[in-house]
Amino acid sequence: MINVKKVNNRPLNLLERIYLWEIARGLSVTMRHFFVNLFNPKGIPTVQYPEQVIPLPGNARLRTRHRLKVRSDGSPKCVACFLCQTACPAACIHIEAAEYAENFAEKYSAGFDIDLSRCVMCGMCVEACPEDAIAMDTGEIPGGAIVREQLIMTKENLLGNLPGEISRVGAANRLANEYLRGKE
Amino acid sequence: MTDFFEANMDMLLFTGTATVKVLVFLSAVMGFTGLLTLAERKVSALMQDRIGPNRAAVFGLALGGLFHPLADAIKMVFKEDFVPGRAEKLLFTLAPVFALAPVLALFAVIPFGDYVMVFGYQVDLLIADIPLGLFFVLALSGLAIYGTFLAGWASKNNFALLGALRGAAQMVSYEVVLGLTLTGLLMIYGSANLQDMVRAQGGLLFGCVPAWGVVCQPFAFILFLTAAIAANKRGPFDLVEGESEIIGYFLEYSSMRFAAFMFAEFAEVALVSMLTATLFFGGWQVPYLYETGFLFPGGGTLPLDHYLISAMQVGAFALKAVFFSWFMLVVRWTLPRFRFDQLMGLAWKTLLPLALINIVITGAVLLALGKL
Repeated sequence: MINVKKVNNRPLNLLERIYLWEIARGLSVTMRHFFVNLFNPKGIPTVQYPEQVIPLPGNARLRTRHRLKVRSDGSPKCVACFLCQTACPAACIHIEAAEYAENFAEKYSAGFDIDLSRCVMCGMCVEACPEDAIAMDTGEIPGGAIVREQLIMTKENLLGNLPGEISRVGAANRLANEYLRGKE
Repeated sequence: MTDFFEANMDMLLFTGTATVKVLVFLSAVMGFTGLLTLAERKVSALMQDRIGPNRAAVFGLALGGLFHPLADAIKMVFKEDFVPGRAEKLLFTLAPVFALAPVLALFAVIPFGDYVMVFGYQVDLLIADIPLGLFFVLALSGLAIYGTFLAGWASKNNFALLGALRGAAQMVSYEVVLGLTLTGLLMIYGSANLQDMVRAQGGLLFGCVPAWGVVCQPFAFILFLTAAIAANKRGPFDLVEGESEIIGYFLEYSSMRFAAFMFAEFAEVALVSMLTATLFFGGWQVPYLYETGFLFPGGGTLPLDHYLISAMQVGAFALKAVFFSWFMLVVRWTLPRFRFDQLMGLAWKTLLPLALINIVITGAVLLALGKL
């Protein structure tokens, strides 16, 4: 069943048409808010953000600064599939793909830049990632910067696991890990 | 040299006291107007459960946003002073002056106190004691239309011109209502001098109620406040330049020229509150306070010093002005904006007939009381 709300379009009565009584009622509402907030400023829900930080909800929908996850051996999970770059509505992700020389089954991202000055924090890159390689759960809220270059996150800034987080070892990475270890 | 001083003592005294009064009162008004720009944002914030501006700080001291008017002024000064290429340069420059000058001139006739004795001389606490003060108010507030209209016309911008047309139509309509609502007061007090009108409000009605204008003319008070807010282009009648949706007459203005329009608007808020206090709420009168001290209707007396009485009266006037400024801010942030046809309909179909009826009733009552 569709809920139907009947709007009462009755003509205004005399008291409402004079308008003054309704003005007084409206003023009483705003003045009540004014005086309550004037004498009890603690009741105002405003958070004075940089000085005062409230804990963010640590759930999966949290959308703070990005990070690239790493496997337990330290290699990045990202396989440079470009799905996040394609999904990004703000075109802020720039990936440079590279191949492991001995392992044609897997690519890796030689460069992974996120331009935070363009990013709209929509989380679509996280949705798109098939490898669970990108996440927006660092809890850092990107702020402003003096120069634009400071807002460009590179692969080096983005890589890392959250403290205490166990990284899942990916399925197709054994050869890659061996390759990377061989390079060290 | 001494002969010159002795011969022209009256003139020199007059010039000296007038200069001091202008400097003191005008700087008080200017400071109050500057604070009003902050108050507007703070009051609206508190009404909407927000905190409002509190970040501008000097040496790490924010004082709840007290430095924001200063920060605004500095920002305005350093903005680009832009003049459109096709604008009428002279009138474009003059328009902010036309907007601001009449408002500031109007403060000259507002009595902010009775009188104070300084070294045996009686100094009236009002700048220009002109006999037709009320008509001076109406004439100069009519002149403020020039600022609005010249700004819109000299910008050579169609949207600015439309805003100016709306503004001119609105201000002309409400000036008519404004003049007619004050006629009732003129009939009661029999004088157009604002100081005389305030002194006339010092008496008592029925032995206990102060004979303030709002008691004698409650109807005219509501009409006057409505018309004054509308003539001031504020509150629910700010569709001349409704910030959120309608482009206004000072569309092409930037930097301090724009600030002059905003300053004029806030100075008008201060002016309208002072006029409301003067005409309807006894100006500097404190209930039951006379030249020698308190005389309560029950018979109790409390003699007070002359200077204390003067200070109390000036303080009472300031308090009334602050209250009505606050009230206008609250009204502005409470009521939704009128549509233009509703605005004109309210002026010509509602307020104007009501003002005329008020005059008739006032005349009839005065005739019945045998005072006409």
